[in-house]
Amino acid sequence: MPNTQAEQFEQLVMPHLNDAYTLARYLLHDEHDAQDVVQDAVLRAIRHIHGFRGGDGRAWLLTIVRNCCYTWHKSHKRDRSNVSLSDDSALMVADSSSADDATIRASDSELIRAAVDKLPPELREVLVLRELNELSYREISDVVGVPMGTVMSRLSRAREKLAAVLGEGTRKAG
Amino acid sequence: MTCKECLDSLNALVDGELAADEAAAVRDHLATCDECAEQHTRLVEGTMRLKGALMRYEAPDVLKARIRASLARPEPEVVEPIRRRLPFFGAVNWPSAIAAAAAVAVLSSAATLSFANRKSGADAIQSELLASHIRSLMPGHLTDVASNDQHNVKPWFNGRVDMSPNVPRLDSLGFPLVGGRIDYINGRSVPVIVYTRRQHVINVYAWPSNTVSDKTVAASSHGYNLIRVPVNGEEMWIVSDLNRNELEGFVRLFAGTK
Repeated sequence: MPNTQAEQFEQLVMPHLNDAYTLARYLLHDEHDAQDVVQDAVLRAIRHIHGFRGGDGRAWLLTIVRNCCYTWHKSHKRDRSNVSLSDDSALMVADSSSADDATIRASDSELIRAAVDKLPPELREVLVLRELNELSYREISDVVGVPMGTVMSRLSRAREKLAAVLGEGTRKAG
Repeated sequence: MTCKECLDSLNALVDGELAADEAAAVRDHLATCDECAEQHTRLVEGTMRLKGALMRYEAPDVLKARIRASLARPEPEVVEPIRRRLPFFGAVNWPSAIAAAAAVAVLSSAATLSFANRKSGADAIQSELLASHIRSLMPGHLTDVASNDQHNVKPWFNGRVDMSPNVPRLDSLGFPLVGGRIDYINGRSVPVIVYTRRQHVINVYAWPSNTVSDKTVAASSHGYNLIRVPVNGEEMWIVSDLNRNELEGFVRLFAGTK
């Protein structure tokens, strides 16, 4: 274990800082909020580094970042009720025929990103942890604190919702 | 395997989360069931499309700088006088008050300003510069005009400050220009030109001054280096958490463009 906090940061945290920042960006939507929260999370991580049992520092750091995002959101919820992290309602205007001109002009990537942003947070986080952070189901289960079966079903629901929004409706299993 | 079992396992298959025998069983079913195979293809394509569209964000340099700054900062109650590194050129007596000021600066730049104002001369300026530098590392405070093109940055100061700052382009030498901003130092508005070196932010301050000095002054505090560059008719300071050697290299390059 490196000695000084500065060394701990460089060796244990820096390699995963992009992952941490990416997760925060997707959970909070705002770059300045994401910076604040990642800074807070990293300082917490280093302050509580004795809780790190070695192994993959990435899942450990992402767990702290995720928790800080939720804490941050709770304390800021009143200010920003319209872009609420826990806003599960009125997702997905699924019908592409109702899209306005701007949406039609938007590129495929922009549509997909907008659809991901509108996913409910518990689906968005597993999707980002899987597709961008490339964590295994086991690691996601640790980070989010739910059983692996739940990870799997959330991931499946997230992908179904996206497919529906992006005009590629998947038929339900069964 | 039933279709339901197969479809329930598709995500795990695509994510490489199935054990070899389970994966083989699913693939056997896919080979014989067109409907499930179609779902599989759709899932694979959708996942690829998603991966292609989603952006990985790179942690910005300013975030790294802020974290490093926080970690380099000693615990608030331990304010240690700075005498670990002797100045490379020009003797500077760097009073411990500056260290205290630095700690205060982080907590409250406004408080620092009044604290610094009570002191006199160069010490006060150094405190203000340090506070300004640390404040610039907070989100949204680094630049008023963000551009890597000096032809955008230099004219931006027209009419905003009473001097035209030197904005050389040093990208090819490893110091990309980030932009500029206006700060308030030593009782006046001061143009600040911002460069980076790897993850480090470099702030260049310059304002007109009658002080004649041919001496370079260098000091360090809490992992930040402050260097005063002797320029006729100007007070010029360069502040960064970059290591002293590289910062001195930057100073030479920058001064050489004058």
